[in-house]
Amino acid sequence: MALSDGLRRHLDEIVGSHRVVLFMKGTRYQPSCGFSASVVGVLDALLPEYHTVDVLSDPAVRDGIKTYSDWPTIPQLYVDAKFIGGADIVRELHATGELARLLGTDATGPRVPEVTFSPEAAAALTAARADLAGDDASSVLRLEVSSGFEYDLYFGSANAGDVVVETAGGPLHMDAPSAARSDGMKVGWVVTADGGGFKIENPNEPARVQQLSPRALKAMLDAGDALVLVDVRTPEERETAHIEGSRLLDAGFEHELLAMDRGTPLVFQCHHGVRSLRAAEHFTRKGFRKVYNLQGGIDGWSVSVDPTVPRY
Amino acid sequence: MSNHPTDFQGDVKEAIRAALAERISDAAITVTGGGGHYTIEVVAPVFEGKGMLDSQRLVLQSIAHLMKGEMAPVHAVDSIKTRAR
Repeated sequence: MALSDGLRRHLDEIVGSHRVVLFMKGTRYQPSCGFSASVVGVLDALLPEYHTVDVLSDPAVRDGIKTYSDWPTIPQLYVDAKFIGGADIVRELHATGELARLLGTDATGPRVPEVTFSPEAAAALTAARADLAGDDASSVLRLEVSSGFEYDLYFGSANAGDVVVETAGGPLHMDAPSAARSDGMKVGWVVTADGGGFKIENPNEPARVQQLSPRALKAMLDAGDALVLVDVRTPEERETAHIEGSRLLDAGFEHELLAMDRGTPLVFQCHHGVRSLRAAEHFTRKGFRKVYNLQGGIDGWSVSVDPTVPRY
Repeated sequence: MSNHPTDFQGDVKEAIRAALAERISDAAITVTGGGGHYTIEVVAPVFEGKGMLDSQRLVLQSIAHLMKGEMAPVHAVDSIKTRAR
């Protein structure tokens, strides 16, 4: 396939826009192919941040990058606008330590993230440590942060390759991918009915879908907020009733949405708010940061905002 | 092993081997795998002094026609190993 000038310039811009660019299937947090996931695993261990391009959401880029790099498969890694290779090569370069040198990260391991424990959380840890001392003095506090940002804080054994963070609650051990997802994390303590628990705030988490009440949506629309209201129901349902200003999600509209700035607020709406939640989650995975789900769907809208919209 | 549909008729490993032999002279070629996923080892003088990227590119270019399209016989090459001798 010959590469058009426009597409070549577009790809030039992408590889030039960030030091490290990974063309992959899916996203860093939701890779949709094993080869892409393996490269993400390697990069996560070395870098807190890098740019990824989901080729599945852009067929032109998916085909174009193969010609551009003269490389037939995805994923493809670029560093400083230079093509490095696919999954196989990245794995080899990582094993020899060459990738760490290339990326300019310390060859001894990823950088140590900043993790803050509140005084209450630190006190709770110190108490837990004291309880433990008799049982197994060799245990260390470990924190695991999965690629889906689920947390596991527990006492376990120290492992080779651990990143160790000094905190007010004592040393905290993490594996490299967890450390890469933890910079700026705050650990607090909340008191609950059955004692208390740790509460983790992590700025590295991808955006989550926020629930929006019909009244709050009305207020945003009245204020003229720039938002896109997406109706995910069937065309037949839409003929029965629709919210003014909304637009039916079809293939063409999805394509338009995916081309939008990822900071654009998106509000998803269906009949009762269940289908739209799934659609909303899909768009957070595409990188959108302000994603809302209309609580109660169009039915809730009819009940609490606009009774002229028929219920069905 | 994952399975990927293909409209290719014949022995895929043999097709890969033949395609490589045609493009890379004096090559000792080993192809393993199946179900769309393959592992390829090639030992040939042409790799002398070549980097990993150029070596793998040569192998991939040789079998590019087998990886084209949704119904390609070769869905993925899991691993490529090249040596000069």
